[in-house]
Amino acid sequence: MIMEHAALSNPLHSQVLWLIPFLPLFGAIINGATGRRLRNNKVVDAIALGSVGVSFLLVVYIFIQLMGRAPVDRSVTQTVWTWLDFGGARVLGGVTSNTMSWAYKIDPLSACMGLLVTGVGFLIHLFSTGYMADERKNGEYYRFMAYLNLFVFSMLNLVLGANMVMMFLGWEGVGLCSYLLIGFYFDREYAAIAGKKAFVTNRIGDFGFMIGFFLIFMIYGSVDFDTLMGMTRNIMAMPEIHLFGISHTPTWWFNLIGCCLFLGACGKSAQIPLYVWLPDAMAGPTPVSALIHAATMVTSGLYMIARMNFIYVNAPVALALVLFIGALTALVAASMGLAQYDIKKVLAYSTVSQLGFMFMGMGAGAFSAGMFHVFTHAFFKAALFLGSGSVIMACHHEQDMRNMGGLRKYMPWTFASMGIATLAIAGIFPFSGFFSKDEILWKVFEGWFAGGAYTGSKLNLLAWTMGMIAAFMTAFYMVRLMVMTFFGEYRGAGHDPHGHTVPSEVVHHASHGDDHGHDAHAGHGHDDHAAAHHGPAEVPWNMWFPVALLALLALVGGFLNIPHSLHWIGSGHFSEFIAPLLYQTHAHEAHEAAPAMEYILMVVATVIWAPAAMGLAWWFYGADPTWSKPRAFVKRFPELFEWVNAKYYIDEFYEAAFIGPCKQLGAQLWAFDAWAVDGMVNGAARFTLAISHAFHWFDARIVDGLVNLVAWILQQISQGFRKLQSGRVQNYAFVMFLGFLAIAFWKFLA
Amino acid sequence: MIPWYQNLPLWVTFLPLLGALFLLFVPKGSRRTFELGALAFTVADFLLSLPLWFQYNRHDGGVQWAFSADWIPSIGVKFSVGMDGISLVLLLLTTLLGFIVVWCSFTAITERHKEYYIWLLVMQFSMLGVFITQDMFQFYLFWELMLVPMYFLIAIWGGPQKLYAAIKLFLYTLAGSVLMLVAILAIYFLQLKVTGKADMSIASFQAMAGVIAHQSHTFQILLALAFFLGFAIKVPMFPFHTWLPDAHVEAPTAGSVVLAGVLLKMGTYGFVRFLLPIAPGATKELMPYFMTLALIGVIYGALVAMIQKDMKKLVAYSSVSHLGLCMLGLFALNPNGITGGILQMLNHGISTSALFLIVGIIYERRHTRLIAEYGGLSKTMPLYATVFLIMTMSSIGLPGLNGFIGEFAILQGAFQAAPWLAVLATTGIILGAAYMLWLYQRAMFGPISETNAKMADLNLREIAYFVPLLAAAFWIGLYPKPLLNVLEAPVEKLVRQITPTYYDQVDLTKGQKEAAKVGMAGMPAPAEAETHEEAEPSHGGGH
Repeated sequence: MIMEHAALSNPLHSQVLWLIPFLPLFGAIINGATGRRLRNNKVVDAIALGSVGVSFLLVVYIFIQLMGRAPVDRSVTQTVWTWLDFGGARVLGGVTSNTMSWAYKIDPLSACMGLLVTGVGFLIHLFSTGYMADERKNGEYYRFMAYLNLFVFSMLNLVLGANMVMMFLGWEGVGLCSYLLIGFYFDREYAAIAGKKAFVTNRIGDFGFMIGFFLIFMIYGSVDFDTLMGMTRNIMAMPEIHLFGISHTPTWWFNLIGCCLFLGACGKSAQIPLYVWLPDAMAGPTPVSALIHAATMVTSGLYMIARMNFIYVNAPVALALVLFIGALTALVAASMGLAQYDIKKVLAYSTVSQLGFMFMGMGAGAFSAGMFHVFTHAFFKAALFLGSGSVIMACHHEQDMRNMGGLRKYMPWTFASMGIATLAIAGIFPFSGFFSKDEILWKVFEGWFAGGAYTGSKLNLLAWTMGMIAAFMTAFYMVRLMVMTFFGEYRGAGHDPHGHTVPSEVVHHASHGDDHGHDAHAGHGHDDHAAAHHGPAEVPWNMWFPVALLALLALVGGFLNIPHSLHWIGSGHFSEFIAPLLYQTHAHEAHEAAPAMEYILMVVATVIWAPAAMGLAWWFYGADPTWSKPRAFVKRFPELFEWVNAKYYIDEFYEAAFIGPCKQLGAQLWAFDAWAVDGMVNGAARFTLAISHAFHWFDARIVDGLVNLVAWILQQISQGFRKLQSGRVQNYAFVMFLGFLAIAFWKFLA
Repeated sequence: MIPWYQNLPLWVTFLPLLGALFLLFVPKGSRRTFELGALAFTVADFLLSLPLWFQYNRHDGGVQWAFSADWIPSIGVKFSVGMDGISLVLLLLTTLLGFIVVWCSFTAITERHKEYYIWLLVMQFSMLGVFITQDMFQFYLFWELMLVPMYFLIAIWGGPQKLYAAIKLFLYTLAGSVLMLVAILAIYFLQLKVTGKADMSIASFQAMAGVIAHQSHTFQILLALAFFLGFAIKVPMFPFHTWLPDAHVEAPTAGSVVLAGVLLKMGTYGFVRFLLPIAPGATKELMPYFMTLALIGVIYGALVAMIQKDMKKLVAYSSVSHLGLCMLGLFALNPNGITGGILQMLNHGISTSALFLIVGIIYERRHTRLIAEYGGLSKTMPLYATVFLIMTMSSIGLPGLNGFIGEFAILQGAFQAAPWLAVLATTGIILGAAYMLWLYQRAMFGPISETNAKMADLNLREIAYFVPLLAAAFWIGLYPKPLLNVLEAPVEKLVRQITPTYYDQVDLTKGQKEAAKVGMAGMPAPAEAETHEEAEPSHGGGH
């Protein structure tokens, strides 16, 4: 093992770096190998939680050490072994060896992500010990925990990897774990299908990632992050890059790379057009939704873009694409969240929408703001998901919010935690979402505002407008969710307080697609209903405690990164902390005074905009338990509701436009294969047979006929001769005598 | 005389033949003797082949363990053996699969045991012979000999359409070999004309490359095409692949494993050993067409695999796709592509063989290969599900498993040579995930039927023969460096044979190391970078 220290200012125990990802791997292997035989859940718990917990402590330890060093020294790499080594790759400007190490790199960005993955990961492991109660009984528990640990291992490879191949290893690894965990209840068809959908959709993204990867390798001759960062300025200084017979400026190539990589990010981070897998992924157990499909895995696209910021800063077109797609996703997904009944579906669309916000931040060039939203979002969204898991469990595996209500009284801890998280996601001061989301929106706005000159890109104005609308919708659907779940009276398990069968916006059940989206617990959950007449109750401590802790983080987390304009509150660290990793286009960025516009927008957002949305939602759903106003609204615009509830039929469109034709093409090619390609082979065989038949005829009739003819002629002739061979001596003597005469006669003539 | 341990390839090759002879004298009735006897010989053969890995000199790209004796001096034929790194890895793959195919047949084969195991051993002998031979005549002999046991394996122990499949396999590949023979003879007589001496050794044939390059253009192209057709049928490349699904579907499990694992590699090996070094000029000229055919194979095979209802057919078409990728790498004609192509041969040998074994296991239990008959097997067969999942992931190129390393190298090599083709080939990887996961989902997930619920999980014997394959998959996926070291020198030699000036370029590695030191602490400040601008000689001009 080789260790490289950036500087020896402060000895750093980099030789333990590999343990951070490998401990959870060992946990997964041990549990996976022994769990089925041992059937001891306590041991499984100890190994699974222990490995992630120790990992977390190790990250904390290294993080503290990093903080103690000078900003330029905060980077350590550990090469565990040389993974790939292909000599003689011809790239731009010469030959290089294609060497990639199994190496980990910890620096401010990856350390923060490492903290997030192990910290939130640990809390979610803890939550799972309570949530997976049924599996603890039926012996499937070990499998779940092994998958979760394997996921943490893969995710840590993704964020700690020192080169793009390591990142890709994690990238695909989390995809596999996601596949396994979504399909955890594999005996249910829709869960298995959702898992496959997630994997294949992600693979479409990976396609872009790999192309971007190859382009980077062709230009840099390396995919090691340190090397890339060190070389970018030289590459940018080149007037032209000549590759594959075409010559373009470095910016052109970087735009290309940026767009390719962004396709990868779209797959993993569920952006338009590849977001479709994430809502379906809710078929997995709820802790999985919280860990993988909200807090960590879906943010890996963001992490990748932040890591590759040196490409994006130099790629304006790619960045504009990121901005636009981010804004579009934020808006569209938020609107879809408005009309869902499944509590997890609401949160799923909310996640997609929030990821869109993060991409907006990236697209505006505010990498630290985008990344900061990753962290705050991880806190409040994990809290919301886990809280929804508690709610689902308390309601006996009911996920339809129409059958909930009034849980505030029964589940105070869960209610308080989810309430805080809701305020955070809505962006109310001083909750964490305010700091991160408004920072993003401000940066996007600033791109057009340009310090009061209004000269920036119009795209930024458009994106900002979309973002603001999305923020409004966010506040609305979150309050709708909270009201439907926690306020009013309990409507589940046969309770029917208002004389309606089930209160709903529409009188009949309009549940497009909802039926196959449930957490698969629902399957056996319904059987319990008859027996479960006792109402919902608060979940045990190992479930509410992680939620409460995450809510606490969502409450205070925002103060870790206070914008410059609010420096009188305190000093933010996060953006400065990761600043050394960001590519600076100018030597010194002047810290201009915060413009009045920033304050105005902030106040508008937190005092008017979000509260207005929340008030509207309360007025719609909270004030009147029979929901007469939304009903009237839906009656007025039935198609609108239908379309939103059906998620604009985008899944159906994909099925009809891509998946169907792909299978059709396969079937046609198969027919082509059997009839044409193989037909030619069999045709050749048949042709040969036909010829051989013809030859046989020719042979039998003509060739053999000739032979037979000759034989026949000879036979006829010999018939004549046979008569000569009489066997009588006097005949022979007579012939001899004639012969003599003939010869004598001939001699005589000569 | 060389001591025997320095002549191991020869022993490794002939040991299975010895085994076949031994079994010939065992009386017919004793089934167990045949099974265990064949297993003993193949295991011994595998163990005997392992020291080769350590004896091999990694710095020498040429032929090692060379041994040669006169055979038919009048036409320059010698009995000549020896191996380089490429042959070595394929030989090891063959000996590894050798005992696995014997072991997996214990319960599957219920009649005519004696002939079966004898043919398996003869099969192994002829395959190993191809890899160690250094003489064209001898090569052709082994190449043709291989068909005989395969023919009988399919024709006797095969499925309902076994005769059709066996004859198709035999005739189709024979047609290819005859073309190859024409090419061999053409070079032989050319050599006789130019140098005046008869020499059938592969080295002398490769040395003819310079002479061939000065022949007429038509001659070169025809020569390349003759070799190409001969090998392309064996690989098989699109559109010469239709014998493969039939042969796979009809063959017994062991036959499929040998077919996919080793027999198909003969074609790709032929490309590496003959076409590329003997006719590099023509190959380079035809490269775009060859690569296009390979690419069509990748996507076509994947799309056709997707809609198959028969598991074995699905895996067979996935072979077409994977080998298309392999060919794409080889025809990229650069070190990455060729190394990747060779790795893909190994990986395909490991993962596709394992997939055929996997299909064979449930076929033995239920006697059907229709995907629709299965479902939910994960419930009752957790071990089987794990093995199947790992091999599925290996087949679709998940990083950390063997498939990824090969695909990665191939795509990178192809990207260097023909970026658009590489981009299109990458879509094949999406389709690969789609059809394999769909297969897995339909077979392993979902509700389970009553018949399937009675299916037993893997038994000890089955676990035992999967273990080496799993170990190989993880080893190549996690630490392929020793393997790459073995391949490096021969690949470099091959690349120099194709493009002598390939390596004469600026070496960038040093500049990269410098840059890594700069980038270690994050992005360098802009002002500082001004001074470094000219310090990077490597990026002055393109190429």
